[in-house]
This record gives sequence, C-alpha cells and structure tokens, in this order.
Amino acid sequence: MIENQTEAASNVQLRILVIEDEAVIAMTAEDMIEQLGFVVAGQAASVNDALAKVEQCDFDLALLDINLNGVMSTPVAHALRDAGKQFIFTTGYGSAGSQGGFDEIKVVAKPYTIATLERAILQATGDIRRP
Amino acid sequence: MPEFRALLSNDSDMACRIREFDWAATSLGAPNDWPQSLRSALSICLNSNYPTAIYWGSELRLLYNDAWASVPGPRHPQALGQPAHLVWPDIWHVIGPQLKAVFAYGKGIVSNDQYLPMRRFGRLEETYWDYSFTPIAGEDGRVAGIFNQGQETTDRVFADRRSRLLLQLSDRIRTMDSSAGIMATALQTVGEHLGVGRVGYGEVDQAERLVRIDSCWASGSMRPLTGTMSFGSLGQAVHQAMRMGETFAVDDVYNDSRISEADVIQRYATLGIRSTAAVPILRDGSYTAALFVQNADPHSWSAGELLMLQGVAGRLWEELARSRSEMVLRESERRHRLIFEQARDIIFTADLEQTITACNPAAAEAIGLPAERIVGRSIADFVSPDEFDRTRSMLRRKLQDGGVTRYEVSVSTAFGETRQWDVNSALTIGTDERPIGLHAVARDITEKRAFDERQQLLINELNHRVKNTLALVQGLAMQSFRNQRSIADGQQSFQARLGMLAAAHDLLTQQCWEGATIDALVADAMGPYGDPPGRIVTAGPRVVLPPKAAISLVLALHELGTNAAKYGSLSRPEGKVELSWRLDRERALTLTWREIGGPQVIEPDSRGFGLRMIERALASDLVGTVDVAFRPAGLDCTITATLPEFA
Repeated sequence: MIENQTEAASNVQLRILVIEDEAVIAMTAEDMIEQLGFVVAGQAASVNDALAKVEQCDFDLALLDINLNGVMSTPVAHALRDAGKQFIFTTGYGSAGSQGGFDEIKVVAKPYTIATLERAILQATGDIRRP
Repeated sequence: MPEFRALLSNDSDMACRIREFDWAATSLGAPNDWPQSLRSALSICLNSNYPTAIYWGSELRLLYNDAWASVPGPRHPQALGQPAHLVWPDIWHVIGPQLKAVFAYGKGIVSNDQYLPMRRFGRLEETYWDYSFTPIAGEDGRVAGIFNQGQETTDRVFADRRSRLLLQLSDRIRTMDSSAGIMATALQTVGEHLGVGRVGYGEVDQAERLVRIDSCWASGSMRPLTGTMSFGSLGQAVHQAMRMGETFAVDDVYNDSRISEADVIQRYATLGIRSTAAVPILRDGSYTAALFVQNADPHSWSAGELLMLQGVAGRLWEELARSRSEMVLRESERRHRLIFEQARDIIFTADLEQTITACNPAAAEAIGLPAERIVGRSIADFVSPDEFDRTRSMLRRKLQDGGVTRYEVSVSTAFGETRQWDVNSALTIGTDERPIGLHAVARDITEKRAFDERQQLLINELNHRVKNTLALVQGLAMQSFRNQRSIADGQQSFQARLGMLAAAHDLLTQQCWEGATIDALVADAMGPYGDPPGRIVTAGPRVVLPPKAAISLVLALHELGTNAAKYGSLSRPEGKVELSWRLDRERALTLTWREIGGPQVIEPDSRGFGLRMIERALASDLVGTVDVAFRPAGLDCTITATLPEFA
C-alpha cells in the first residue's frame, strides 16, 4: 500500500518543511517523508528560524512541533495560515496540546508511525493533491 | 374614795392583783392613803394598753399594767410591789443609775434599743428595749415616782443586725470567684460577728455516712477543725436534728440531756467544745451540708443568733452554688477559649450584618492585622465585591435551609496578597433558638492550590518529556536499523545508543535536571574506549551544559567514538583521541575532537546518521556550529557555541 501511495505521491513532488527542535526526531521525520516519496523542503529548529523559513522556503506543507525548545510555536502557526500554507501539528503533549484558534488543524502525537504521518499529510493536502 | 374605787374596779388582771396586794405592809401604805399623784399615774397606767409601769417612792416599788406583765418574764407576778433593785438585779447596773438620775434631776429620759442583759427564763438573755422614765411630781412638788413605758425591741434589733450582716456578707462575696474564698469570708464574718471560737462548714457524704469539713475559721484558744466526722460522732441527737432540717444548739455540753453518750462527751472535750450550734442545709429535702459554730466556753444561744446562723447558711449555700456553676461555666469557657486561641485553623465569628465579632490568633496572623483591628469590620473589607456577594448568598442559604456551607473565597490580606481560603461556616443560634450570627472555620489553601497546579503542570511536562523521549528512541531505532549490514549490527548500535541516552538521563537526574558538566558527559560517552588508559586525552575547565545540550553532546560523542572505533584512530591500538574544550569570557565554548594515530582518512561519499546527527543536533541544541574535517591524519571535529548564563 505504501508502495502504491509512494508512487502516486512521487508524481506530485509534495514539498514539506520540517519544524522540529529535536535533531534525531527531525531526521526521523525527514527519513519518513523521503520514504513516502515526498520532498523535504527545509528544516527549522526554533521559532525565529521557522518564521524565516516560512517566508523564504518553497514548500507546500509544514510539520510544526507545538513546542520549540520550551517556546510555543503559535506565531509560526499564524504565519503559516497567513501564508495560506497547509500544516500539521506534531506534539508530545497529546491532543490536549493543540492550540486555541487552530481547531481545524490536524494534530499528530509523537511518537508517530510512518503510516500515521502519511495519513495526516494526505488528509491535509488530499483535496488538492490526491489524484 | 369613789374615784380610786372606780379605778381599781378596772377588771384587768393587774387591777385585780393591785387591789388584793397588801400595800399596808410596804412603804407605800394603804391605797386609801395614796397621794393623788400616784392615783392619777396608776389610773393612766391601768387604762393604757401600752406596756406601762410605775416605780414609786424612794424604794421605787413597782406597779404595772397587763401589757407590761410580760416584760420581766417569770418575775411576774412576784415583781408587783417589790423595790426595783430587787426586781432587776441583772440589769440594775444599767437602769439603777438612770432611775436615780431621774429622781435627782426631775428630768425624764428616753432609751432606744438599750441593751439589757436579762435573766428571764433561767438564762442570761441579750435583750434590747425602747423605754422612757418620766418623773411624777408628788404633792410637795418633788419627784415621788417614775412613770415607765417601753417595749422590747430584741427581735427587731437582731433582725436588723441579721440583715446588715447578710448584706455585708453578700457585698463581700458577690464578686468572689472561688468557692474557697467565699467560704473563708463567710466563716470569718460569722465568727467575728458572733464572737465565737470556731465556725465551720461541712458537706455531707451520704454514701460514706460522714460529714467532710473542708473549711473552718477559728480564733482565740480554738484551732480550725477540718477533716471528716462520721454521722452521729457529735451525738445522735445532733445528727437527727440535722437530718430533719432543724437547727441544733447546745449551751453547755456538760449540762445537756441530749448529749449523753460517754464517748461523744469525751469527743467534745477532746475538740475543746463546750457550746455549739449547727444549722443544716437541705437540698431537695435531704441533708446536704451544715454550718456550725463552737465555743470553748458555755454560751447561751439566742434566737437571734440562731436565726442569723440560719440566714448565713442559706446565703452561703446560694453563693456556693452560684460560684460552682460559674466555675463550671468559666472552665468550659476557658477550654473553648484555649481551642479558639490555639487552633491552627482560622476561626472567626460575625453577626448577621457580616460584621466580624471575634477572630482567633490564626485568623489575625493570616490577615496580617491584630485581632482588634479586624473585629468590628465588615467581611466586605477583606474580600472583593463579587466574593462578598457570594458570602451573602451563602448566608441567605444558611438562613433559609440551615446547616453548614462550604466554599472557597479569595481573601485580601494586609500584606497585599490574595489568599485562597476554604471556609466552613454555620449559623450561631442564640438561646431563643434564633440565629444571631455565624461562625466559620477556614483554612488557607493557597499553597495547596498552587501545589495542585504545579503538580498538574509537572504531570503534563512529564508526559511531554516521555513522549519526546519515546520519539527520540523511535528515531534512534529507525536510524540504527537503516543501512545496516545485518539485524545483529542494527541491534548492537541501537543498544549502544539507547545505553548512552540512559546514561545521559542518569547524569541529569543526579543533578535534578539542571545540567551536567562536560567532563562527566565525556567520561560517560568515552567510557567504552578508555582502556588501556591514555587513549582518550581530555583537557578543559568545569563547564555545565543545559539538559538538552548535554544529551546531544553525549549522543554526539558516542557517534564520534563509534566512528573512530570502526574507521578512525581508535581502530588502532596506538591510536588516540584528544578531547579539549575551553570557555572564554563571553561564554563562548569551543570543543575540539582530534583523532591521532589512526589509518589514513578518506572522506566518505555520504554521511552516516552519527555525523548527520552531530551536525544537526549540536548545531541546534547548542546554538552553534559544528565543523567536521576529514583530514588524512585523522578526523577533526570542532564545536563552537555560546552557552546560556547559569546561575
């Protein structure tokens, strides 16, 4: 199944920005993204870094950790919405950690499997990207 | 003489006796020869209903009317016609000089409440009299006789004295608190007033059949008598009288038929009692206590004295009962006061207008004001308007439904703090069953609330960290099993990485997750390569890294170590690693990893997880740069970072 979806997804070359402060977790997410046939468009590990990447980077979707080195990433969420970008929250807080005002944004609890990540990505982008 | 006959035809008893008396045998002579002055005086005397007597002639021979007949007691009727000094030997020292003075000066005298120690019924009595002696002029104009009118006031004098004594006693003991003080004062008052040798008060113990004497006053030769006395030990007659509620008086122990038992008489002698009087106090009809007086000498107890004793006994009982009930009340109040004062809980009372009426030291301490600056103020002064509305609605609820209300309220203290109180309050019900206010017990739960919140925060944080750690472990697992030659290789590197992660956690836990020093981190990470000694050369000052950076450094050193052992200097026995770090004044950290004595190094086409992680994680967590150089002589890794300020 992953094979099929990977093939399907590979055609659209979805570009994903990974915003995650924990290097190992970020690298894992990037590996998963590549395995799923998407493209890692960039990385950010702090709020300031992420805000810069939102402006500069060419991407379609962002994985956004709710807490970046102890700082809530809400400003980044606002910037993403303002930029009209799709995004997915990732969090170690469980679903209770989701942000007020972003109820419609999908939250993925860490640690997540590659299947969970794929489902979340396809849900977030499904309407426009699914063939 | 017709007038005189008419006079003596008066049918009173004394007229009869005067008629029949043999006056001729006396210095007055036969009545027919009596002068007009005597006849007139006698006429007035016999026709008067007021006690009236006439002392006539130089011998002051006595004539009197029916009303006067009781005055001399058993001396009537023999007193008629007798000279005054023979009638009144007992009081002659008082009235003799008075009568002589009237005779000598022709002026009347009046005595009020005159003390006359009369012997009337076989014993000497303390008697008091109002009387007048008025001269009667004879035919020659000289005093021929004395007209006497008077009446006994003994009862009134004693009654007055009794009232005064009781009043005085009441005044002295009314303000007294202790039973012992009341008792001592009462006994002393009685003793001094009656001039007796000993006054005591005993309480009856029906079960033990004895009287317990705790208080006794004594004077003169007598000593206080305390202790217990069996019923009847002072004579069965005394005990019987007490049981029946009758006052018992003995004028002389050796001359009283009621005190007959030999052992009892001996006991009186031993105790030095010659005369005594005792008044029982009955409670609900049963003998409860006795007030007694004793003398070392015989004493003739007057009715007045006994009445006084009875009055004091009654008053004493009332006052003792009052003092005891007050003491019970005081003791109960004292206990409650102690609870109030010493309770660690906040306790206060308020009236129905929500004005604070009392507060304990714990409340004063919690508010930060002395109690007197809290009492009298409204609860509204210490809570916000919203909170006050709520306390008012709680009060309404209690007034409607009764019971206890429990609520939390924010209280403003004098320290400018807002404290959270958990308040239990209930209505205070007055003696008429109507609510008169409220009382409340409160506890400051601010710390508990903060603790609860902190606890919740910690649980959330713990959950977050566990989830993050699991995600980290997941990442390590994925990287370890990727691109490995075999499952066994993957397992080995995964276990090594997991071990490093656990070791870093241990280090941080030891320091309460405040950070770890670089040398401790290095010792952990390089431990597996330290044999033989000298392969790992370290040099650097004490530098503390924050938790996240510490974990990253351990993992990075582990990856460098693993890489060196596989491909670098540590793959040769003579190979070494030099690890040094320094921190400059701006807290810029430079850490250098240099491999020496290894095989020639060739830069790999792609970088493995270890090096990628080093570059990413350290760069991110230390907010610095990581430079890995594959020099032919050996791998160099230089890490630079600016450390946050540590306390």
